[in-house]
Amino acid sequence: MELERDETIERVAQTLAVLPPRDAQAVSRVMTAVHAHQAQRPSRLTLVMEWMRQPSFSVASAGALAAAALVLGFFSRGAFGNAGSDQSARSTLEGQPTGEFPIPAGVVLPASNSHEVRALPVSLVFDARNAKSVVVVGDFNGWDDSKTPMVRYGKDGPWTATVLAKPGRHVYAFLVDGTTLVADPRAPRTKDLDYGGDASVLMVTPP
Amino acid sequence: MNFIRSCATVAALVVAVASTASAQQDARLTLIRDDATREVVRQQLGGALSRGVPVEPMMAKALEGVAKRASTKSIRAAMARLEENWHRAAKALAPNPTDDELGAGADALQQNVPESALRSLRKLAPGRSIALEIGVLTQLVARNVEPGQASKMVLELMARKATGTQLTALSSAVQEDVEAGLAPAMALDLRGRGIMSLLPPPSAVSTLNPRSTPRP
Amino acid sequence: MTEIDPSVPIRAQRGDEQAFLEIVEFYYPRCLRFARNMMGNEQDAEEAVQDSFVRVHDSFPRFREEARFDPWLFRILANRCRTLLARAKRHRELIEYGEVPLAIASAASPIELEEEFGTDWAEEVRIGLETLPAEQREAFLLRHVEDLSYEDIAVITGAGLSALRMRVKRACDTLRIRLTEVERRNGT
Repeated sequence: MELERDETIERVAQTLAVLPPRDAQAVSRVMTAVHAHQAQRPSRLTLVMEWMRQPSFSVASAGALAAAALVLGFFSRGAFGNAGSDQSARSTLEGQPTGEFPIPAGVVLPASNSHEVRALPVSLVFDARNAKSVVVVGDFNGWDDSKTPMVRYGKDGPWTATVLAKPGRHVYAFLVDGTTLVADPRAPRTKDLDYGGDASVLMVTPP
Repeated sequence: MNFIRSCATVAALVVAVASTASAQQDARLTLIRDDATREVVRQQLGGALSRGVPVEPMMAKALEGVAKRASTKSIRAAMARLEENWHRAAKALAPNPTDDELGAGADALQQNVPESALRSLRKLAPGRSIALEIGVLTQLVARNVEPGQASKMVLELMARKATGTQLTALSSAVQEDVEAGLAPAMALDLRGRGIMSLLPPPSAVSTLNPRSTPRP
Repeated sequence: MTEIDPSVPIRAQRGDEQAFLEIVEFYYPRCLRFARNMMGNEQDAEEAVQDSFVRVHDSFPRFREEARFDPWLFRILANRCRTLLARAKRHRELIEYGEVPLAIASAASPIELEEEFGTDWAEEVRIGLETLPAEQREAFLLRHVEDLSYEDIAVITGAGLSALRMRVKRACDTLRIRLTEVERRNGT
């Protein structure tokens, strides 16, 4: 124990050392960002496009470019045995008939062991300092405004509620003071094709 | 034999009449204060139930309209559309769709996801719920990704056994990209490839014990 | 502090994507903790962590197999936090509006902490931390929360050992003055 780490500092460290829980969705977001970043690095095509934007671009150079592209394409398609390293990321559905949606021959995903898909708890948070009451309404509670009242966190804090929703896409909104329906500012939105306006979207992922 | 058949028919009729009656007496109808709207909703519920659509989603659609202060005419039209989409989804997701899948399927069709995409999803996963996958597809289309491109991507990811988390991450990433100004088609391609590069190519071998009629 | 099996970063460096995924899964909570404590803002913290992993992935060719992974990762993360903090300073008015209080955004249990240390404790710690100059906060967190040695912290921050000891000592002094008062009020 160092001299500086007395009782107070020990308590501070203990308070700050609480680890956030494991979060599969965050990990998945990170991995997607990593791979999206890789895909965004300038490819041969982007470099060629940049070059075409240069003012000195001419028909003759376009012809040379087309010839070069043919050769490049020939190599990159693995005609000489050097298949691209991103093979696994290339669509396996390419080249199959379009119109209907083809699925790879013989692939059938395994049946689920459980017949019942369980609803999962999801927390919703809404900042509305001056509201007197807030209720969550959405397809997960049948748009019934008596089912999920929100409660304040602390005296002046945001409104919170936990809803139970099955994995999938859900649409919802907040009913403020029994009169005003507002979309969740934290959630993605979708156009309501039935009644107009925007609704919030909640995507629930299985555990 | 004829006697048994008659009994069965009578029993089915009793169940249908009883449930229609219960739909018409649903306590939630009292949440609709306007008399004319309540009557229209009552009729729509009864009719839909007799044609095999459950009360819950129909009632939810009606209450959603009430919450949004929609006119009686709009609520009637929305309920009728839901009923029609429910039947179309039932056909596309045959043979044994769950109510969750049918609800998701009806939403998907409402957003212009093609029926053929629902059929392909079912063909790929006949033995488990695909409500989540349908939801992801619907949300992509709602974010202006072209329905054909979105369907192909979701099918491709499913065939490579992408997890539910990966699929919802795709949906949110595309959402964020589109909001940040990226073209929907490019956002989906970019994010889809990102996830795909983590997954093995689809195996041509059928997996263990696929059931064609899984649910009771 | 537990470190990841040293073979995992080596596999990741050689292009094994599964190993990279293991790294993200293993370090995400710890990285997010550091970034949250550094930035005091959930959204920026998540951005810093995500950006850091993107950079880690990009920089793997430069990772030396004999080097330890933790200091290398934290150097990238601390750098990223510093950059985002500078940006946040420029846009403070935007950040202060409509933020979810960390107590709610965090799935950790602030309520339990409050029960143990009194109602305002966690909030006072957060404010105390925010008042520290960024380099003192960084050194304090790496030493006393992330439990890293001064030698590792020197690798991470690029600062000399005696300067680091001084930063940590000053941070402790400031926090102690502020929080002893809170303890006295709470009767802890």
